[in-house]
Amino acid sequence: MTRDLWKHLVLILGAIVVIAPFYTMVSYSFKSPGEIDRGEGGFFGRQETMVDERCVKLRDPNRDEVAAAAARFPGLDANAVRAEMVKEAEAACSMRPVVFNYSQAFTQAPLLRYLLNGAIVTASIFLIQVVVALPAAYALAKLRFWGREAVFGLVLFCLLIPVHAIALPLYMMLANLGLTNTYAALVIPWTISVFGIFLMRQFFMTVPDDLIDAARMDGMGEFAIVWRVMLPTAVPALLAFAIFSVVAHWNDYFWPRIVLTGNRDLFTPPLGLREFKGGADGSMFGPMMASATVIVTPLIVAFLIAQRRFIEGITLSGMK
Amino acid sequence: MSGLQIDTITKSFGATEVLKGVSLEIGAGEFVSLVGPSGCGKSTLLRIVAGLEQATAGDIRIGGRSVAGIRAADRNLSMVFQSYALYPHLSVADNIAVPLRMRQLGGWHRLPLIGGLMPGARDRRAAIRQAVAAAADTLEISALLDRKPGQLSGGQRQRVALGRALVREPAAFLLDEPLSNLDAKLRVQTRAEIAQLHRRLGTTFVYVTHDQVEAMTMSDRIAVMMDGRILQCASPDIVYNDPDDIRVAEFIGSPKINLLPAESDGAGRLSVFGHGLPLHGPAPNQVLQVGIRPERLIVGDADAPIAGHVAHLENLGSELFAQVRIAGFNHPVTLRAEPEMAPALHLGARIGLGFDPAHLLVFDAGGKRVRRLSPQAAPRRKETV
Amino acid sequence: MTLADLPRSADTARPAATPATLQRRTAWVLTAPALILMAVILLIPVSVAVVLSFTDYSLGNAGFDWVGLANYEKLLTRSAYARMFAATFTYVLVVVPLSVGLGLGAALLINSLGRFRDVYKTIYFLPVMATLIAMAIAWEFMLHPTIGTVNRTLAAGCGTWVETAWPWLAMHCDEGMPLWLGDKRYAIWVICFVGIWQGFGFNMVLYLAGLTSVHRELYHAAEMDGVRSGWERFRLVTWPALGPTTVFVVTISCIRAFQLFDTIEAFYPIGAGPGKSAYVMMYAIFEKGVKQNLVGIGSAITVLFLVFVMMITLIQRWLVERKVHYA
Repeated sequence: MTRDLWKHLVLILGAIVVIAPFYTMVSYSFKSPGEIDRGEGGFFGRQETMVDERCVKLRDPNRDEVAAAAARFPGLDANAVRAEMVKEAEAACSMRPVVFNYSQAFTQAPLLRYLLNGAIVTASIFLIQVVVALPAAYALAKLRFWGREAVFGLVLFCLLIPVHAIALPLYMMLANLGLTNTYAALVIPWTISVFGIFLMRQFFMTVPDDLIDAARMDGMGEFAIVWRVMLPTAVPALLAFAIFSVVAHWNDYFWPRIVLTGNRDLFTPPLGLREFKGGADGSMFGPMMASATVIVTPLIVAFLIAQRRFIEGITLSGMK
Repeated sequence: MSGLQIDTITKSFGATEVLKGVSLEIGAGEFVSLVGPSGCGKSTLLRIVAGLEQATAGDIRIGGRSVAGIRAADRNLSMVFQSYALYPHLSVADNIAVPLRMRQLGGWHRLPLIGGLMPGARDRRAAIRQAVAAAADTLEISALLDRKPGQLSGGQRQRVALGRALVREPAAFLLDEPLSNLDAKLRVQTRAEIAQLHRRLGTTFVYVTHDQVEAMTMSDRIAVMMDGRILQCASPDIVYNDPDDIRVAEFIGSPKINLLPAESDGAGRLSVFGHGLPLHGPAPNQVLQVGIRPERLIVGDADAPIAGHVAHLENLGSELFAQVRIAGFNHPVTLRAEPEMAPALHLGARIGLGFDPAHLLVFDAGGKRVRRLSPQAAPRRKETV
Repeated sequence: MTLADLPRSADTARPAATPATLQRRTAWVLTAPALILMAVILLIPVSVAVVLSFTDYSLGNAGFDWVGLANYEKLLTRSAYARMFAATFTYVLVVVPLSVGLGLGAALLINSLGRFRDVYKTIYFLPVMATLIAMAIAWEFMLHPTIGTVNRTLAAGCGTWVETAWPWLAMHCDEGMPLWLGDKRYAIWVICFVGIWQGFGFNMVLYLAGLTSVHRELYHAAEMDGVRSGWERFRLVTWPALGPTTVFVVTISCIRAFQLFDTIEAFYPIGAGPGKSAYVMMYAIFEKGVKQNLVGIGSAITVLFLVFVMMITLIQRWLVERKVHYA
């Protein structure tokens, strides 16, 4: 046990470094600007009610409003009424820092919209990838046809090309087609997953021919075989591939950054976060970290729930 | 070359006791097989002797010296593993050289590049090369020295594993089911070669196997293990013909020994299927079992006291096995006969079964061998072995 | 398989209703979408990049002029691009060995433990899952010169024995804590650090998978062969067995390192670090090709990038086929 002690010591030290930014991120998302500035309040901050200055400023009463409210404060002159109203506004605008940070995260930028975009884009990418890759993988693994070797060779060659690397020509093609700033631009370059084809082909190679011959004897066509026989057998591999694909595209920043130039309605979460950062001043650290937390959380939670599957999926490319 | 003493070794994995106080004395130069069904603890025992596992209690002595607390690397034993455990990235020559390199070269000598420049490195390396060549010569694998294990057949890998074990002079060889991954033909051949190797080297061999034929054909003595205990350790002849325990009798011999229900009457006289035998047991009114080897059964007349129908025949050419069903007895009785008997032993034929009472092995209800039998009256006892 | 063989084998093996020609046609129909997309999305853009790298094309222009090798010449002669290569290769050469080494070290440590394996594994894998740009921003906060945790922690060491034992800290206690991201001396190293932080958990998991495939009996054989130290055991058994894993891990780490972009943009919304010290290739492609619409030069960088990545992958395939692949 004492021999293991130093190992634990080293690993715990490493774990602290690994966790540190997560800790900072979540902790900042709980704290008030003052606490962040002074570096106090522990993990959760003291959660003292704070006044949102911007909110107060927005509710600053003008002369008409003061006059209209005078009836509520009988016996007070206009200045006193105004002071009362500012007090009311301050009361209405005071809240716990955690509430402030998270409400700001969702109101300062259309964070929900970003999350929705992220979900739409990742889901579309994965679905199209499967629809394209599965039949091709099946044909490469189980059908005999002239040119099969050539097609597979092409797949192996294309495995060499990282899509990020050819972002520039892709961007120009899309720009010339007038497709920048569309969902299509976000999805199109990823519709073909050569890796997916390769992976599913390797998987289908392990499926016995008898299963397919049996399906043919039962009168199924090749298309029916792909979707009604091969798809169900491939579920574990597909699940791993799904995780691989979703994680990559949820977190992808580079490609959306290139093809989305202005339209915030199409922003994916990572882009939204950058936009937030660009416009943020010092007091917005809390809300920014709140958005970061919101963006990072879905995958982390999913990962914690199904660790084994996630690790399998992400390291998929290493298992071949 | 040294003897081995295994002294009341117990081993528990959690709550399960795998070895329950095993003791065994192995003489210097002796070939002892540990044989038993899988899960009997024989491999665990071998690993404890090797030092790869720690006994819960008990002591191992090699050449009279206790090796408690001495790690496997320092016990000077060689081991051949079931999977051969060859280093896949090293050539055959390098694989065989590993035990010498680790023992004879210091840490500096083993470094690539620098190692060659160390004083004395050249001589030592030459000596190792020679030893490797000699070992390869013994096993007739000299032609394979430059290959990688991945390019070898199962039998060749097995030889390389043996070569790695015999390249130095260990106190004893430990072999853990070394033949179980070979095909049947190769197994028979290698069996003979290992036995010859043992005779040539004269070193102590401890051989673990679940195959009683291997144990019978190679060993000086066989230790039959079951449920974490050694039931009997004796020469193959004794283990076969004079087992101490019904489980030993059942495990050794193929086809299996025939076990028939027996009892002793008030006077101690034994009877099988109600047929009285000219034998007296040690005590009256006992439920017993008698065992008789298939080759000890004699085909008799159909009206013999014990008779049945031939239910199944296996003609191996050199010998003939018949399974005979006896009315009122669930298990068929196996009988070995000469092939000439084939006409008489057709399926469905009714035959009688005879035997010499001296060949009967009598076991009590607990399975222990009953040796104190007398062919005459009960009171006067005479040892008949 | 030749065309002539097909009908005969089909006649015997399959009912006459599904002749081989039908299967062949089906196969092409099934692969067609993938083939078309491969061509349009991967092959054509690669060719386009190659072609445009010899031109002065700009997006929006109707035509372009051929400029020969001028773009490549600029890449090889101008100091801005020298800095680009320096930053890229510094990052790759620092991050790859360290993230592979740390991944291996963590895997070995974790593998040797009886308990808490999964806890460490989960923690170390977290950065792989997390959105890099978000985590880069979190690191930026931690490295904030005045309110960042890193400098606060360091400042706490001032005036204690740590300061006397660590000259670097003593210097900064006097001069003020480092600016980290704003300091030309530290910027690229901090970026490397974040890269290692993010990537080594992935390598660790691959190594852990590799370790499970090491035959346990080999360790026992090594012990019987007189191997006493952990180091010798590692050299004789573990490291050779991890050969295929290592080749893969190094390759994928290289390719990922070449693709560095998110961290740079998160840290430096404008420019690429102090004195362009973090001006890596992906950032250059983005800046030249997309932002400044200098498509020719951007394409030339793209082509060089592809050459690097393809070379690495080809070396990997070559290694896998000839050396590390044992039966």
